[in-house]
Amino acid sequence: MIAKKVLLVGNFGVGKTSLIRRFVQNKFSEDYISTIGVRVSSKVVEFENNEVKLLIWDVAGTSGDEKIPKAYFLGASAAMFVFDLSRSETYLTIENYIESIKDLSGLKEVTIVGNKRDLLTKEELKTVTDSISVKINIITSAKEDANVEDAFLKLASQALK
Amino acid sequence: MIPAKVEDVFIEITTNLKGVILKISPGTFAKNNFKLQTSIYKSCDFLEGVLEALEVSKKFLLEGMILVSNKKEYYVDIEMCKCDINVIILIHDRTKVYKFISQLNQNRNDLFFVKRELAEKNKELANLRKIADKANEEKSRFLAMMSHEIRNPLNVILGYSAMISEEQVNNTVKEYSKLLLRSGNNLKVIVNDILDLSRIEAGKFKLLESAVNLKEISENSIRNYTHQNKNSEVTLALEFADNVPTFVFADGVRINQVLSNLLSNALKFTQKGLVSLKVKKISEDEKFVHLSFLISDSGRGMTKEQTTTIFEEYEQNKQSDYRFFGGAGLGLSIVKRLLKEMNGKISVESVLKKGTIFKVDIPFIKIKSKTDLAFTTEKKVLAKSLKGMRILVADDDGLNQTIVAHIFKKEHVILTQVKDGLEAFNALETRVFDIVILDIYMPNITGEQLVQQKHNYKKKNSTIPFLALTANTAPEDLIRYKSIGFKDVIGKPYTASEFLNKIHLVLD
Repeated sequence: MIAKKVLLVGNFGVGKTSLIRRFVQNKFSEDYISTIGVRVSSKVVEFENNEVKLLIWDVAGTSGDEKIPKAYFLGASAAMFVFDLSRSETYLTIENYIESIKDLSGLKEVTIVGNKRDLLTKEELKTVTDSISVKINIITSAKEDANVEDAFLKLASQALK
Repeated sequence: MIPAKVEDVFIEITTNLKGVILKISPGTFAKNNFKLQTSIYKSCDFLEGVLEALEVSKKFLLEGMILVSNKKEYYVDIEMCKCDINVIILIHDRTKVYKFISQLNQNRNDLFFVKRELAEKNKELANLRKIADKANEEKSRFLAMMSHEIRNPLNVILGYSAMISEEQVNNTVKEYSKLLLRSGNNLKVIVNDILDLSRIEAGKFKLLESAVNLKEISENSIRNYTHQNKNSEVTLALEFADNVPTFVFADGVRINQVLSNLLSNALKFTQKGLVSLKVKKISEDEKFVHLSFLISDSGRGMTKEQTTTIFEEYEQNKQSDYRFFGGAGLGLSIVKRLLKEMNGKISVESVLKKGTIFKVDIPFIKIKSKTDLAFTTEKKVLAKSLKGMRILVADDDGLNQTIVAHIFKKEHVILTQVKDGLEAFNALETRVFDIVILDIYMPNITGEQLVQQKHNYKKKNSTIPFLALTANTAPEDLIRYKSIGFKDVIGKPYTASEFLNKIHLVLD
């Protein structure tokens, strides 16, 4: 079995821990507990007939111009940038953020995930996605368990590339 | 030798490049987690993939990693150094520090979300306020329109009642017309009160301050009510202290409104005895003179409970008061609000069956120089005869035209009456007048449009006084009408004397 280290990064409160919790334990909580440092979870997924053990690094959310320590990216095979569809400040500088992740990790690709779909109407969602200049890979809702599995499979595929 | 406490928070482990533990030394932190010849990944899964990626001879630090030992989570910093054949890993327990950081972080983030929620609530509040403001504006517009629509027929009711009372009719008819007049006047007070209150509530109320003669206002109030008082068992009296300045800066109309309201109330509830107004000086400094107006009566008085609610809107102490005295119970509430606008206050003392004293305190700005008084001398209306004057009146309401004609008939004027703006325009182009009185809302051309075309009229007509005859009597309306060319405004409803007074004023 192959083990792949993958990271979830993004502003605080966007739902990184909730996405991991939903994916690994199929649980969701409305309570917000901010993550400190890094919490690593793992889950074995099957992808294209391969069993892959994903070592998922839940990196503490950042705020403003805060940078993620470079050491966290050491040995990472893939990274997911998560933003909150209902909070513009979490995606306003998305292009810079993605570039910075690529610089720190040496990865060529970053999976971009818009979370908290459940908080927006269809029209609001369209307005938000239209306003974002980069391509969003997947829209999720950890609360409603929408597209969470797909998001991590996308991450696994990126890790295996 | 490492001191015991330091030893407890460290452990140093050497592994081969695949993570197999080769050596444990020194330190005792989470010692049970690590066994020789086992994989370090069992306890430190976060190192999987990391050890291979480390660069040789380069120190590396991973901060804030979570390590579980004896079912307890620890926050650790991991320092690593890779050489050709193995990796030295120093694990440092920093749980206490990270707990503080965690708390700070949580607080910071919670604060952020609270601030965000607050901002959203403020936005919601601002929206609600906008809606409320709009509703308030709608209400004000509705009231202004309603006032206009009421004033016109009211003018007819009062005008015709006055005309009937002047005719040779039997006593019963005279009595009926008197009751009509009284009810009409009550309705006029109610409309004015409601409009005042809505203007104050909408924050549109403004005091128009100028130098006013307080003594004259007080004397006029008493004179006016003495004249109206039909009860010979009630006497009215005024005491104006010698040290009270005659002139102060104030809104004379509103001061008069306050005094009139209180005197009118005192008279209503006094069957026998005295109603008096005393004006006294309380104190004085460089800028202000604090005056007190005491309005006392020997009427039926009130209980303590009643005195606490009389300043509330729509409050009358007895249901029967409404039937007997009329009014909407807004008078005292408006008085209180007017006084608030003047930075003044009102209080009441009352003894049941003995009487009531209302005390009004107002700080007035003092008049310091004679120039302040330059424009204060009230114009004395010269009762100049209107006989032979050429007057044009344009009004599309035939009933109002009759009232105007009735008033002018006694004055022997040369009256021209037209029923719309276009007829008025034609008359002004072809004939010469001494005064023009225009209704505002008229077919074809409005009064406002007519007054603004003065330059088009027969030369002499472009310099004569134009008066607006309208039910729009809000202060902003009066200001607007004067700004577009009207010399003055006759507000509906009017009495014959008020009507003629305005004309004499503009001729003077």
